[in-house]
Amino acid sequence: MEIDKKKCIGCGNCHAVCTMGVIYLDEDGKSIVNQDECVECSTCYRVLTSEGYPGWFANAVRKILSFFHLGYQGRVDVCPTGALTPPRLDWPRSIRATFSDPTTIHPSTGVQGRGTDEIKSNDVTGRLRQGEVGVVVEMGRPGTGAYFRDIEKVAMALAKLKPHFERENPVTQLMVDTETGKIREDILNEKVLSAIIEMKTRLERLPELLQALEKVSKEVDTVISVGVASRCLPDGSIPHEAWVKKAGYALSANGKTNLGLGRPLFKEA
Amino acid sequence: MTNTLHRQGKIESLKNDYVIFAHTARGINKEGSAPKLREFMRICLKYHPVNIGDVKQGNILQEDIDIEKLIQNQDDGAGATAVFTDLDTLQKVIEELVRADLGISINVSGLLDEVQQCCRKAGLERHSAEHSLGFWGATDRLPARHVLELNTLCGHGMVSFTLIQKLIGEVKLRRLTPKEAARIMGKCCECGAFNTARAEQLLEKLKSCY
Repeated sequence: MEIDKKKCIGCGNCHAVCTMGVIYLDEDGKSIVNQDECVECSTCYRVLTSEGYPGWFANAVRKILSFFHLGYQGRVDVCPTGALTPPRLDWPRSIRATFSDPTTIHPSTGVQGRGTDEIKSNDVTGRLRQGEVGVVVEMGRPGTGAYFRDIEKVAMALAKLKPHFERENPVTQLMVDTETGKIREDILNEKVLSAIIEMKTRLERLPELLQALEKVSKEVDTVISVGVASRCLPDGSIPHEAWVKKAGYALSANGKTNLGLGRPLFKEA
Repeated sequence: MTNTLHRQGKIESLKNDYVIFAHTARGINKEGSAPKLREFMRICLKYHPVNIGDVKQGNILQEDIDIEKLIQNQDDGAGATAVFTDLDTLQKVIEELVRADLGISINVSGLLDEVQQCCRKAGLERHSAEHSLGFWGATDRLPARHVLELNTLCGHGMVSFTLIQKLIGEVKLRRLTPKEAARIMGKCCECGAFNTARAEQLLEKLKSCY
């Protein structure tokens, strides 16, 4: 994101809305974006309604109110002058918006948001079958963001255990080798709001995979949200529960349920 | 699409938080799904969700969104989302979706045991389930628990920690009501998964905390 300094009056509303907290007041009293840390999510641009006032007018109103010692509590969800300007993004920076702006469709999967299906369509795709477990590793969430160099580090650590990286996943599509988890070199220094490494393995291999993930998670400077999924048994029980407990990890009371209403329903051979 | 898996909070609070969403799969049932997604949204709308929308067009909390237009403009896409605050209503929505037999994948985020009961009452056995194993890695970078509870109400983590802290401050200073603050937070969430009613309850509790 860029801020038009000719328009900005330094009200600071965009500083709070910024998902990465990387907009700040410059020495000239106008807001500025730390371009290295901005993930191009465009939240500031979408959320802050432009009031479209000329900068001189907004400043004059402030000065008059200040002169008469009158307080003015402006709205927190507006940009008074419409100073926020989405830039044209070229490769590789454009990858930031693809992963961070949920309104963008991932070209590799055709899915918006983080671009993954996980169990959301498992009833029709049969992506996770009996005896298998899906693991979703969302790097950078909540609220910290992640560089692809850290995403690669985690992917490479997990790749040693030979999981099956989900092909229809935007991170997998950026791997140059799914055997090693290596990600293409030109994006390693790009930062995104979050990205999901998605894989599946046999249920009995889950403890080993979670232990490897726990170990590598201590070597990266970001937060990781971890999810585990499986195809339920005919009685509705969840096969991965016992394996997660056996590995010594706690399961959330809440989660996601696929009701099985999609058609045509996938049938396992 | 939404990632509502990691919503935080105590069980009592999570009992007021159920996200239902429709999803389609490319090459299987995405093509020709527009009328089904419209019907999904109409069914949800009938039961007065606190939020409804899709990630492509936004949600009803945003100022320029007209829900009828949003439904009309649904095309063959990835999906739509609605949020309900009680199990009885969720039950009715699921039952009506079963009767409608839309043929698109329907998922619910919420307390797993409660959702399973809903499924069974509607004559279904759940197909697949997903748990959160929480936050790993550099968790020292995370803010206080109550900030996380509000942040994770958005499917894509678009409500910044700083905005949440600022709005809590505004509520405590009585410059904004919890309802107004919850609505501003909800504007940041594009897909419509943000539960404004639960956010309002959390802010109401925080209002009196110092």
